Amino acid sequence: MTDAAIAYPHGDPHHLRGMEASRVAHAGPPSKRIVTGYGFWIFILSDMVMFSAFFATYAVLLGQTAGGPSGRELFNLRNVAIETGFLLASSFTCGLATIAADYRNKTWFHLAMGVTCVFGLAFLAIEAREFADLVARGAGPTRSAFLSAFFTLVGCHGLHVSAGELWLLTMIAQVFAKGFRADIQRRILCFALFWHALDIIWIAVFTIVYLLGSAS
Amino acid sequence: MLGKLSWSAIPIDQPIPLIAAGVVLVVILAVLAWVTLKGYMPYLWREWITSVDHKRIGIMYILLAMVMLLRGGSDALMIRVQQAIAYQSNGYLPPEHFNQIFSAHGTIMIFFVAMPFVIGLMNLVVPLQLGVRDVAFPTLNSVGFWLTATGALLVNVSLVIGEFARTGWLPFPPLSELTYSPGVGVDYYLWSLEISGVGTLVAGINLVTTVLKLRTKGMTYLRMPMFCWTTLASSLLIVAAFPILTATLAMLILDRYFGFHFFTNEAGGNVMMFMNLIWAWGHPEVYILVLPAFGIYSEVVSTFSSKSLFGYRSMVLATMAICIISFMVWLHHFFTMGAGPDVNAIFGIASMIIAVPTGVKIYNWLFTMYGGRIRFATPMLWSVGFMVTFIIGGLTGVLVAVPPADFLLHNSLFLVAHFHNVIIGGVLFGAFAGLTYWFPKAFGFRLHEGLGKAAFWFSLIGFYVTFMPLYAAGLLGMTRRMQHYDVAAWRPWMIVAAIGFVFLTIGIVFQVLQIVVSILQREELRDRTGDPWDGRSLEWATSSPPPVFNFAILPDVHGEEAYWAIKSRAKQRDLEKNEPHYEDIEMPRNSPTGFVCAFFATVMGFALIWHIWWMVALGFVGAFATFVVFAWRDHDEYVIPAAEVARIDRANMAERRALASHPGSA
Amino acid sequence: MTSEYERGGHADLAPGEESQDGEVSLLQRIAGYLTGLGLAILLTATSFFIAGTDLVWQPSIPVALVVLAIAQMGVHLVFFLHITTGPDNTNNVLALAFGVLIVVLVIGGSLWIMAHLNHNTMPMDQIIHMQG
Repeated sequence: MTDAAIAYPHGDPHHLRGMEASRVAHAGPPSKRIVTGYGFWIFILSDMVMFSAFFATYAVLLGQTAGGPSGRELFNLRNVAIETGFLLASSFTCGLATIAADYRNKTWFHLAMGVTCVFGLAFLAIEAREFADLVARGAGPTRSAFLSAFFTLVGCHGLHVSAGELWLLTMIAQVFAKGFRADIQRRILCFALFWHALDIIWIAVFTIVYLLGSAS
Repeated sequence: MLGKLSWSAIPIDQPIPLIAAGVVLVVILAVLAWVTLKGYMPYLWREWITSVDHKRIGIMYILLAMVMLLRGGSDALMIRVQQAIAYQSNGYLPPEHFNQIFSAHGTIMIFFVAMPFVIGLMNLVVPLQLGVRDVAFPTLNSVGFWLTATGALLVNVSLVIGEFARTGWLPFPPLSELTYSPGVGVDYYLWSLEISGVGTLVAGINLVTTVLKLRTKGMTYLRMPMFCWTTLASSLLIVAAFPILTATLAMLILDRYFGFHFFTNEAGGNVMMFMNLIWAWGHPEVYILVLPAFGIYSEVVSTFSSKSLFGYRSMVLATMAICIISFMVWLHHFFTMGAGPDVNAIFGIASMIIAVPTGVKIYNWLFTMYGGRIRFATPMLWSVGFMVTFIIGGLTGVLVAVPPADFLLHNSLFLVAHFHNVIIGGVLFGAFAGLTYWFPKAFGFRLHEGLGKAAFWFSLIGFYVTFMPLYAAGLLGMTRRMQHYDVAAWRPWMIVAAIGFVFLTIGIVFQVLQIVVSILQREELRDRTGDPWDGRSLEWATSSPPPVFNFAILPDVHGEEAYWAIKSRAKQRDLEKNEPHYEDIEMPRNSPTGFVCAFFATVMGFALIWHIWWMVALGFVGAFATFVVFAWRDHDEYVIPAAEVARIDRANMAERRALASHPGSA
Repeated sequence: MTSEYERGGHADLAPGEESQDGEVSLLQRIAGYLTGLGLAILLTATSFFIAGTDLVWQPSIPVALVVLAIAQMGVHLVFFLHITTGPDNTNNVLALAFGVLIVVLVIGGSLWIMAHLNHNTMPMDQIIHMQG
């Protein structure tokens, strides 16, 4: 039944045999670093889709305050501006950390990551204070559907930042212990993508939740 | 200390789940004892449980799916028997138990049969078809599989400890809210799906990256086999849709655990938002399942018609069109819930449009068969059976896509018949076709043809006898999920459906027999060529089963149907005698990360279901520590020396040459 | 494998992409991040300013805020995540386009559907009024 013939093609560096192949070039799998970066980029996009579900819910439930306070009565834009400042600054220092990693400079890497960590913690502290303050004023997440959606959307971003902090500390420890190994470099790349992507989510959060919520 | 967990969680008063669980437990213990006594445990741990080889992981996915198929099938049997005898009586299943059974049946069949089956086949085959050595992220692949297994385990634990959801396979609020479902059933559902959902997402990311980034030299997009294209589309849908499911279920969890008001009746919650979001995931999910099946049919029909696939480019276009349009039709699952004519009309039209690319595919398969030398081996039978069955399912689908018709048919057995028609006739037939088609590649011997054909015919007949009556009962007004009923006209149809299920069961028995008999007769069924079906794509270019590195030399592709071209060229030149230059191959090392991580995920999931908070923390810390330990290891690859590669490859080539010089002996 | 880390890399590289031609100096890379930071701060400040001001026509504020947000996301994508239109970046951009399409469909579709779901039913508060 079968014509059991098999042959592997020789290495043919000049593509003399397959004329078509010289035009339609596909060189084979790229380096691991590119593959890893791409895979993580796909993960970030999936994370954005998850946030889109929370954003959609927030937008739908925006008016459902059940007689409780609305966003305009609750939000403190000065706080949000400070939070945003910390997050932007941390993104910049995170960028510096990736450059330091590329130059394999441990001192600068640890310094930049440390500053990133502190800025991230400052962001989280302000957010935690805001949440605690809201709960204390009787505007916790169980008060109304609007507040449920608000706490979940903003809190989900906060959870991502917290996970990022955990990851960041692990990376600091790992570079400290193991140096800039190829796989660690790939993880630093992924971490940087993650941290920068959180900024993009935060832009949507402060615009849609805080600014539009206070303006209208 | 133990949260909500106490001895009363074990349903001593209900004999059916207890006996079932007892039997399962005995079987598991027997298998474990046999494995331990025979001394296979270290082998299993080393070669399978900790394996990061895409072929092994794919096989484990499929095994999980087949075991869960038996569980979901038992549920189906109980449902059919109940409905056959519950005319003007209570049948043998009390309502709260019946509700758990149909909920578990749907959940298991979709998430733990259909999903692992297609993901397993994609895992097994796609790297081989692309001519590469593994998927993009091998260890993550193992994590994904074991998290899926965790979800399946939790669902089955609910049989003996506590209860399962009574809310149907999608837990619609407000019924699924704490007020109306105070038990742990819905929590079992939520946590097992959150955990297995992470596993599925990981598999999706992995496969997207593999197809887009890891292709062998010369394998351009338009040279990929059709199955790779459908894998890409399906994985893209996983990446885009599963996060929505995760988010939606997370909101329901927040409602249930912390008193949030997303979907409650009080404080401004909106139950319709749940329907909206769950179906924004749910509709793409249908295509996540069926697109890989379409890919399998494309491979099978082309191979067994001895022709290249008709209309390859239109097939690619149709696949990608389905990938996008499947995100624009989700409202058709809730036409009746109050949307106005504009919304309903547009989603209705979109739902009909998506039938067009599907129709294109059917014609392509038919034209592939036209004029071909068709061999009706078992995979081909499943494919032809699919085409006939799926057309019926597709047409009834177009019917319910018409909003006015849907107002009559919504929630009726007509709908149940429709989606079983497309999921059994589309996905499951495809999975079985793929199983029989690629089984020799995975294990090195073919499956028994006679038993395979028997399984096919019983399943096909069983399918029609079971589900055609449901269409009729639906048109007579019978709604779904009825524990008992008083309408005499429905009864004959229910009895016929129960008889049909006997045929389906015999089909499954033949499937099991087929595998058992084939293992016993594996020497007669041995595939020495690596190419038992005269295949056309690269997975047939290596031995069966393939060596751990798949290809000794990564193939260089010069056109579509890569392996067919290699074979034709080789035939012209007799056989190539000159040996390639072998090099050392680096392969990822096996790792218990996936298994250990899933262990902690199981602990955490169970603790969350029963509100045992210290155990939740323990599980979380354990999972995190597992990843850190994994990240700390110094060597993630090992090297197979060139001499070893050469030895394996020479043996394989010698066997092929010996067979090729005796034509017909294969 | 080591060669890809020896050089400092390119200022405009896709995630994971290694530099291929031309050395980009350390200063240029830092300057890239600084530019990104500067633009981001500028756009953020404008957003916060516009939200609280009476100087512009009020109905234009939401539109302006959304436009500024999209612009800032673009700045972050280009300067921080290095997603550009370069030839080696096609796959990243295509994936991004797919992601954006899905996000738009999910959010837009949900809002549209949910806004029309009560078309055939009486609003909740009216039912309560009838009972009361």
